[in-house]
Amino acid sequence: MSPVTLALVATLAPAVAAVLLLVVSPLRHRGAPAAWLTLAATVTSLGAAIALLVARLGGAPDARATTSWIEQAGRPLAEVGVLIDGVSLVMLLIVCLVALCVQLFSVAYMHDEPPKAFGRYFALHALFLFSMNVVVVSPNLLQLFFGWELVGLSSYLLIGFYFARPSAAQAAVKAFWMTKLADMGFLFGLLVLFVSTGSFEWTSAPSAAVATWVTGLLFVAVVGKSAQFPLHVWLPDAMEGPTPVSALLHAATMVAAGVFLVVRADPLFALAPGTREVMLWVGSVTAVFAAGLALVQRDLKKVLAFSTCSQLGYMVAALGAGQAFAGFFHLGTHAFFKALLFLAAGSVIHAVHSNAIDDMGGLRKKLPLTTGAFVIGALSLAGVPGFAGFFSKDLVLSSLEGKASWVPWAMLLFAAFLTAFYMGRVVIKVFWGEPGARAEHAHEGNLAMTGPLVVLAVPSLASGVLGGWLATQTSAEYHLHLGLTPVLATVMSLAGLGAAVVVFGRGGKAPLTAVLERLDTFSLVDRAWAGGYRLGLLGVSALAGWVDRYLIDGLMNFAGWAALEGGTSARRLQTGLVRDYALMVVVGVLALVLIGVLR
Amino acid sequence: MTLTSCILLASAVMAIGVYGVVTRRQAVAMLLSVELMANSANIVFASFAHFRGGPSAQVFVLFALALTVAEVAIGLALVMLLYRRHGDTSLALASEARR
Repeated sequence: MSPVTLALVATLAPAVAAVLLLVVSPLRHRGAPAAWLTLAATVTSLGAAIALLVARLGGAPDARATTSWIEQAGRPLAEVGVLIDGVSLVMLLIVCLVALCVQLFSVAYMHDEPPKAFGRYFALHALFLFSMNVVVVSPNLLQLFFGWELVGLSSYLLIGFYFARPSAAQAAVKAFWMTKLADMGFLFGLLVLFVSTGSFEWTSAPSAAVATWVTGLLFVAVVGKSAQFPLHVWLPDAMEGPTPVSALLHAATMVAAGVFLVVRADPLFALAPGTREVMLWVGSVTAVFAAGLALVQRDLKKVLAFSTCSQLGYMVAALGAGQAFAGFFHLGTHAFFKALLFLAAGSVIHAVHSNAIDDMGGLRKKLPLTTGAFVIGALSLAGVPGFAGFFSKDLVLSSLEGKASWVPWAMLLFAAFLTAFYMGRVVIKVFWGEPGARAEHAHEGNLAMTGPLVVLAVPSLASGVLGGWLATQTSAEYHLHLGLTPVLATVMSLAGLGAAVVVFGRGGKAPLTAVLERLDTFSLVDRAWAGGYRLGLLGVSALAGWVDRYLIDGLMNFAGWAALEGGTSARRLQTGLVRDYALMVVVGVLALVLIGVLR
Repeated sequence: MTLTSCILLASAVMAIGVYGVVTRRQAVAMLLSVELMANSANIVFASFAHFRGGPSAQVFVLFALALTVAEVAIGLALVMLLYRRHGDTSLALASEARR
């Protein structure tokens, strides 16, 4: 099959599954068939992606096929289609592989759900995979926007999966609002790009001023989707969704769509150094800020959520430094080890029926395989040399050398220390130490649960060595070097782990815990948004309501009132007396005669 | 007798008819007044036919007379109905259509 056909198969197989499950409700309501169908679609997608990879390794060039959409004045307004190049192929493989692992894990994790909910869960997973693949294979920004909105919808539906629980419903709505607010940037960015260049291609080269506007607006959407400060507040709340959902959407793939967008639109961003500088700072601030908050979370999943924010900050900072490849590489390794961490966390939560770190502890002996998987993920995340995370994080840090008088570089090095520190805290508290109250009867899940952990552990360990290959695929430069940065990064991660052992190994608390906890519970950013919502949105709504109620409705009511009153007045002319009518006729005739005479 | 005097006569008859239609309350009197107005038109037709020549105006008069008769027949029938309904032929009573 041609690359285009394979790409279409990879994209549309989950769409077929999603539509089938949506329309044929018995399939969905019975649960198990929905899981099989979705898994089959995901395997098909992954198979197509692997076939594409094989073809590419055999020397197949980039493939691009589009069809025009909305003909207007003899030329298409836009195009839709598929684009298979190094970036989209690698992303497609990552998405499909992680999705398959997560879905397989879900079969075991969601086992206790009623069949209807079970079926709905897998239908939504199929919808998500389709949406994400639309983003990945997009040949232009317009189609990417469609996929972008679709993943937003899937995210909303999956966060609110337990919609009967008010906190989950609120979290879903919050995520939807925050990302939609940001997506307006995407929409306006597209409009500006189209008005000034007449196309939605990221290769269209507008003037520097236009490029700054477009990329600035696109970056707003990235901030929302990739949970960067100050729009990050939805991501920790999104942990209300089922844990495998957090692994797939809110760690590995969907939140990385923002980074993917910037990698894609790199030619545009290259024209806008101003936007890149903002990205550099936003990414760095997010990386440190979120790492600090991750240190004091008591919910296992929220530690990982803040960690995701922080790592996305790394990627955004690298993109801001103009090193799209570094950001993309970190996206890839992060997808594997963060999905692994979330699934391992899911395994723990499944075993102890609680999210709270304090309920766990001493699980090392009860859950040896999960412990191994989590530790591999944690070491990779901490950037210990040899693990996948080390290579990509080192590349990100190297790309920041000398930028903005080394300040972002120093911030990210500090964040690397914090990362190792908080991951050390979690590992020690959950798997070592005194067994918690609920840890008594913990046991490993079945093969559907442990299998994905093993599969994901491999790339979490080893995908770092693929950096060179990835660079050739995306025509970027990459070479391992021994300099100040990798040494310092290694020192930072080992120091963080060591500090964690020293502090938490004896049941201590991190310095500044009280301050950070206050910061976390007070959640200034949340309050700022809530205040902005009340003052801004509700204020504008009140004004709009007043205009609607009194000006627009008033105009309508006046028109009605005038017609009624006018009719009542005119009615008096109709006396019903023949005499009056006769008089009117006479007067009329006289008037006509008079006019005739006077002319 | 000149055309002018004939037109003046017709105008006088028309004026009397209009006055009658506007002032009289009884249906029969109004009908009569309407007849006067119709006849004033006929006088104009006949006078022009006499002084300016041409037969077509006289034909018009004959048609107009026939139509007037039909009109009077309908008018009198309405007056009959009015009388049966109200016991009176005052047109002030016949204003149901207003409601």
